[in-house]
Amino acid sequence: MSQAEVEATTKDEFVIKEKAPLRPVQSPTDLCLGCGTCSAGCPMTGVEGFDPRRIVRMVLTGLDRELIDSKLPWLCTMCAKCEYACPMGINIVNLVRTARSMVERSRVPGQIHKGVEMALKTGNNLGLPTEDFVFIVEDVAEEMAEEEGFSDFRIQLDKKGAGLLHTLHNKLVNTQNEDLVHWWKIFHLAGEDFTIPRENWEGVNWGLFSGDNEAMKTLVGRIVEHMDRLEIKNLMYPE
Amino acid sequence: MQTWFPDFFDRHGALTVFDLLKDYLESGRIKVDRSKNPQKAAYHDPCNYGRKSLELFGKGYFDEPRWIMDQCMSNWVDLFPCRGNQYCCGGGGGTLLTPYKQERIHYSRKKFEQIRRAGVEMIVVPCHSCHGQLRAMAKEFDMPDLEVKYLWQVVAEALVIET
Repeated sequence: MSQAEVEATTKDEFVIKEKAPLRPVQSPTDLCLGCGTCSAGCPMTGVEGFDPRRIVRMVLTGLDRELIDSKLPWLCTMCAKCEYACPMGINIVNLVRTARSMVERSRVPGQIHKGVEMALKTGNNLGLPTEDFVFIVEDVAEEMAEEEGFSDFRIQLDKKGAGLLHTLHNKLVNTQNEDLVHWWKIFHLAGEDFTIPRENWEGVNWGLFSGDNEAMKTLVGRIVEHMDRLEIKNLMYPE
Repeated sequence: MQTWFPDFFDRHGALTVFDLLKDYLESGRIKVDRSKNPQKAAYHDPCNYGRKSLELFGKGYFDEPRWIMDQCMSNWVDLFPCRGNQYCCGGGGGTLLTPYKQERIHYSRKKFEQIRRAGVEMIVVPCHSCHGQLRAMAKEFDMPDLEVKYLWQVVAEALVIET
């Protein structure tokens, strides 16, 4: 969404209510009973004015701008305990995510949007160059091959016709290298013919968190491209 | 995937981490020895694999990870509440990526009350966000020795290597 579009849509009231998808339940937000079951179950209730019922009331009374400009959408973990318990099936998580999507991108807190931008630009949230990525995974694989039972283990990136595509969470090639090997050990002993993409290997899609459907679609599309290009049988849904 | 690339499924299959682990174990492609993981552990249901998957796709992955735990762990228990009514670790929805650390600590107190009640020395999770959050919070809640492991890690650590 362009800056102009963001401004145009967020000047209005009752926009979140109209825009938020009625999922998982076809239940309009107006059906809220105000019972507070959502708030009673939420571990964040009471923190800096946060509570799920208040978010629903803000949406229903047209206080979209106040909600969007506040910290509230970013304190929610979108865990859905509130809507799971809601007697009317109000889709509270989608209200939060829609509010997040209407926040000007430069004001999205922390690393969420920065990671999305980096992934769109470089193929992973870290901005790690391909040669560094290849070095890290091959280095960890060689080390693993020194362990008993795994001596013939090799990593094959971009292997055409592989049985399984494995994407990686960026933290595993960043600060948690030691956790790369768990799946590889399982694959090796199971005789799984797996491969990892050489580029665009990111298995994480922070568009989900930032409320950015366009970015999310692009990142999912890259996985589809790998599967088609390399003619891979099965996708392992990113961890 | 289902929304944007529905024809993907005409050309390829897609498997969750649970489908894969279960298939390898059931078919005998991998063998495990649960006595290799004797620690008293608890399984934590991530929101997305459980409650939200149930809500959005009509299927929550509650039983599969527990079956996998049964194969690989010799002494594990459930937290209460669990499954659909579980408490979030406090790091979900990208909150782990925000600067709001004090708020995250506050959020996690519910999870750590549960963990204390269960009296376990290890938490097993199949989610990277939960893993990162629980590991960071163990220090905040004065449980620096609490082990936090991935579900596939405990499978890997129970593998029987035939030489």
